[in-house]
Amino acid sequence: MADVARMPGVLEQLKLVAELRWRILKNGLRHKNSRWDLVGMVWVGIFSALMTVGLCFAFYLGAYEFLLKNRTAWLVLLYWAIFLWWQVFPIFVAGFGSNFEFAKLLRFPLSLQAFYLLGLGYGLSDFGAISSICWILSMIAGAASARVDVVPAMLVLSVLFVLVNVTLERLAGSWLEKLLAKRRTRELFLGLFVLSMVSLNFLNPALQKWGRGSTSRILQIIPYVGWLPGSLAGNAVAAAARANQHGVLLGIAGLLAWAGVSSGLLWRRFAAQYSGEEISDSPAPAVAKKRDKKQFFAEERPGFLSPQVTAVAKKEFRYLTRNGFAFLALVLPPIMVVFFSFQFGPGSALKEHAVKPALFFPGIMAYLILILLSPAYNSFAYEGKGIQTYFMAPVPFRVVLLGKNLFLASLVAFELALSLSILTWRIGWPGTPLFAATVAAGMFAVAGQLAIANWSSLSFPKKMEIGKMKGQRNSGVAVWTAFGVQIVLGGICALVLFAGQWTGNPWLPPMVFAGLTAAALGGYVSSLEAMNRLAEAKKELLIETLSR
Amino acid sequence: MSEIAIATQKLTRQFGALTAVDAIDLRVQAGQFFGFLGPNGAGKSTTIKMLTGLLAPTSGRMELLGLDFQAHPVEVKRQIGVVPEGMGLFERLTGIEYLRFVGRMYGLDRATTEKRTEELLEFMQLADREKTLVADYSHGMQKKLALAAAVIYGPRILFLDEPFEGVDALAAGALKTLLGRMAERGVTIFLTSHVLEIVERLCSHVAIIHQGRLVAQGSMEELRAGVGESEGEKKTLEQIFLSIVGQSGAEQSRLEELTWLT
Repeated sequence: MADVARMPGVLEQLKLVAELRWRILKNGLRHKNSRWDLVGMVWVGIFSALMTVGLCFAFYLGAYEFLLKNRTAWLVLLYWAIFLWWQVFPIFVAGFGSNFEFAKLLRFPLSLQAFYLLGLGYGLSDFGAISSICWILSMIAGAASARVDVVPAMLVLSVLFVLVNVTLERLAGSWLEKLLAKRRTRELFLGLFVLSMVSLNFLNPALQKWGRGSTSRILQIIPYVGWLPGSLAGNAVAAAARANQHGVLLGIAGLLAWAGVSSGLLWRRFAAQYSGEEISDSPAPAVAKKRDKKQFFAEERPGFLSPQVTAVAKKEFRYLTRNGFAFLALVLPPIMVVFFSFQFGPGSALKEHAVKPALFFPGIMAYLILILLSPAYNSFAYEGKGIQTYFMAPVPFRVVLLGKNLFLASLVAFELALSLSILTWRIGWPGTPLFAATVAAGMFAVAGQLAIANWSSLSFPKKMEIGKMKGQRNSGVAVWTAFGVQIVLGGICALVLFAGQWTGNPWLPPMVFAGLTAAALGGYVSSLEAMNRLAEAKKELLIETLSR
Repeated sequence: MSEIAIATQKLTRQFGALTAVDAIDLRVQAGQFFGFLGPNGAGKSTTIKMLTGLLAPTSGRMELLGLDFQAHPVEVKRQIGVVPEGMGLFERLTGIEYLRFVGRMYGLDRATTEKRTEELLEFMQLADREKTLVADYSHGMQKKLALAAAVIYGPRILFLDEPFEGVDALAAGALKTLLGRMAERGVTIFLTSHVLEIVERLCSHVAIIHQGRLVAQGSMEELRAGVGESEGEKKTLEQIFLSIVGQSGAEQSRLEELTWLT
């Protein structure tokens, strides 16, 4: 019979897991595939440290000033700031990558108590928690400098405040982990996150319009949040400063109640995980669906595109509709057109500095093309192992490129038409020559970029995963190529548009752009055969990079 | 004499200093059920990748159905079906969408694509999951879908890299029957598997690759004769494989070191 080892104690297990986390962090650095990733990490580290230390001074000074000048009611704000940071920051970073899954530890023979303690330990080792604890310590130091008599109560309240925060954060984190384990929820979360970030752009116009009186409304709300941890801790410290023992005890009791409830709920969550709760995607129940037989024997409709090109374009459409982030990238430009027209158009808050329609139309067109064509420089990013299907199929690779390019060009055309309609509604008709010049410039810019974008996609592929944000970017060379091409094409477009103004001939730009578009299309078509050869030469690179 | 389906001459593939496949000469007759065996890292998948156009050879020639692959890649690809190592599926399509896509890419008309898609989904027991994303399929379901995609256009040669891995016993049984019938109809099946019992049961001919070199090739009887079968004892493919690859002794001595376990 095989030997059976003795079980390690809880402390030994905690030590082992701490060591494991350290090794995962250290080994993670080994896999940084470029120097720039490492440089990025160092920068983030430096920035985070500077931010934490800088705010330590702010919290120190805040506590010191408020206690010294007897403005103790303001202490609530400091605790609220820490509470919000501690609870919200981990939620923001949760969707951005695949951190070590805490629940994976359950494969080892841990007791529920050890699992719970490990969970709390994880919570305390996050950046949000470490920085928050540093700020709480700074506040205690500030209090010690200003009013040493407050320190004992503050120490007790701070310990409770930390306990409440760490259990609440782990509770929220555990629920979030359960939600984000499902692909669809993860993508929805990402979409909501991006939308919330974009909506921040509208804060300024909204505040300009409806901002008056909002401060008083916020002040009216404050008394109703007095039972929340930030207020409880802040008010109790303020009570200690006024030697109000009753207030201090009330704060302690409130925080104890919070700690008790959140610890109990967290224990229940961990117990559910401990007993083998399945949180990842599981196959949907099998439901046999009867299909409409008629669709299987539909007539072959003749089209001007080959079935293979159509198949690729269709596949691109389906991928787009299932890629929340890419889909948002398409929804956003028209929204941004509305935003720009509010912010800089005639009738905006800027009024006298409003941008003229003569600049607005081509400017927005350039912006849209910049955004919409960026993915074309790494157009195989989401193929994954499916890239092998393209190489196994009995079609020259130019067919695949053509299908992808036609789909993108149609999409850009639709987006531009929509955005130009919005602009005409918001800004007014810019005149037929300028409108024609804008459209022709757009066609030239798209046709001119696709050939180079294909070269970039084949030469510098970078795998991306749908539903993730961390590390989801094109390769450095592809980014610089896109940047360079767009600057050159933008420069040519600007030159042609200004030439129309200088010569006083408003029809000159549309005519020049029509010629340039024809030349760019010719260049694109003749590039396809070269791209076909390049795809064959880069086949292994593409398969290896995307199937990884 | 029957047609040669696959023929390679000094087919070689190097990755830097490593020679993954070293000048192999394979000959597979049309309609053969051919097993291609070897230990992990022997060069099986690299060979299949070269034979299916996913990897360019460093040197050597390969002809499929009498056509030089490098000179006529599209014509060759039209006649071969592949289940590659990683299955090569588009994970963000549903099962039905993927089969339709493959059918159209191989030039089937819409009606034929639809009919065959429906029939294959039924056969592979995927009909009730046809609208589920491939990403949400289990490993076995993905394997069945990859197999369906490999046969939808009726290939003349089928390359299968570990086709039964992760497939349940019911589906595996149906697949073996299907493959057997395809072979009877003249389709050449080139299969790799680590499950030697399956290979022994299905394949009429076998080749063994070890450290990039082809160390044996022939019918089961020829292989048995090659390893010196004793009278009255019929060696299994596993015994033949171990005696050719020569690992059994080393395995035994390694096992003896694990006294705490054994």
